[in-house]
Amino acid sequence: MDLSPIWLTLKLAGITTLVLLLIGLPFAWWLSRGRSFFKIIVEAIITMPLVLPPSVLGFYLLLAFSPQYGIGKWLQHTFNVQFVFSFQGLVLASVIYSIPFMVGPVKSALQQLPKALSEASYTLGKTEWQTFRYVLLPNIKPSLLTATILTFAHTLGEFGVVLMIGGSIPGVTRVASIAVYDSVERRDYDMANNYSLILFVITFVLVMAVFVFNKYQAKSPLE
Amino acid sequence: MNKKRLVFLSLAIVLLHGTIMAQNIRVAAAANLQSVIEVLQKDFKQKTGIVIEPIIGSSGKLVAQISNGAPFDVFLSADVDFPETLFKNGFAVKKPVVYAAGSLIICSSQNIGFDNWQRTLMTAKVKKIAIANPATAPYGKAATQLLQHKGILNEIKSKIVYGESIAQVNTYITAGVADIGFTTQALVKESDSKTKLYYKVINPKEYLPILQGMVLLKHAENNLDAEKFYQYILSPAARKIFVAYGYYIPSKGIE
Repeated sequence: MDLSPIWLTLKLAGITTLVLLLIGLPFAWWLSRGRSFFKIIVEAIITMPLVLPPSVLGFYLLLAFSPQYGIGKWLQHTFNVQFVFSFQGLVLASVIYSIPFMVGPVKSALQQLPKALSEASYTLGKTEWQTFRYVLLPNIKPSLLTATILTFAHTLGEFGVVLMIGGSIPGVTRVASIAVYDSVERRDYDMANNYSLILFVITFVLVMAVFVFNKYQAKSPLE
Repeated sequence: MNKKRLVFLSLAIVLLHGTIMAQNIRVAAAANLQSVIEVLQKDFKQKTGIVIEPIIGSSGKLVAQISNGAPFDVFLSADVDFPETLFKNGFAVKKPVVYAAGSLIICSSQNIGFDNWQRTLMTAKVKKIAIANPATAPYGKAATQLLQHKGILNEIKSKIVYGESIAQVNTYITAGVADIGFTTQALVKESDSKTKLYYKVINPKEYLPILQGMVLLKHAENNLDAEKFYQYILSPAARKIFVAYGYYIPSKGIE
């Protein structure tokens, strides 16, 4: 059995989660502080991937990054990079696709922290960044872990976007969900079952981990 | 700070991640070729040692992907129009050549009786008829033409289910979710077919011949291995394999 689609899926989910930790956390922090109409719009936009059909996202990414026109053409000619039918393209798509899973829970958790916490920190002469890094983040560990695991698991489940911009290239864009689809098309149900079972087990363990962990935190997951 | 180091290290791994692999030949192949391509792949590897990676889909979908920058080397279509379009738009190195021609069959997992298949399609026991999407799958186009030519397309329209490619139609037929379907002879020539299938080859006079064209794509320029595979597909060895899978080699139309 060819395990490369499984590794590729895990690699994609790992890198996506890492990227979202780096950009999603400061973003969630910015969103959690104060309300403006602009922030509400931004928050609505990053929530869209939850409700938008993945094919819509895939379609726009295809238009945006096709080497035939516009940005895609410029990227191809200037830097020789291509975001369609390439692994980096899947990373970009997954980051967009999974952003609500990282930003949502972290933002809610930050908003629920008592104001006195950061105020005490400022009084003691800590900068905003130090406060965020050493006071706020350690206080929302459970939500942070939940967000990280769910972001990872959600990326494992990606299909529609990859179908649109991936092209099922072995070792490059043929992730496990696509390998299931390809196996069914070939009527190789045993192989389809192998990939499906592996995906099922991995995602179930991850989701279970979230629930078990949150039980000890006396907090309902998906908050 | 060990944590910082870990983040940097993982970032470095992410950034330095490049695929350090020998470049295999990527062959975009129409869905009707899904079983024959595996045999061709093995035979070609035995003869040359070159590994090819087939990417299977409907011809139309593959053309859309190639037009949007998919890094494929050779395209084996189910017709000549799709590769012609690619050539016209500058995605192919040379004009398309015909490498094989296919036959349309009507097929079912039940012994439904094909002596008068037009009448069978009208009966109440046939609830679902599987056809590949005519816009993206040439075999679906041929099947639609055939039904139109027979004058029964409108009457059975409500029974038709469209597969995304001929591969999906084959799935519908073998799994029995569609009572009957129009597909290629290659399906019943598969040696590993676990399900017993009943079929009838459609009279070739009743639809336009399905000539299948191949192009060497721009991505494969100066790639000798891809050129070798292109030549191999036109060689007697490959033709023998095509014939064994129910294709025929047209005497005219090959440039």
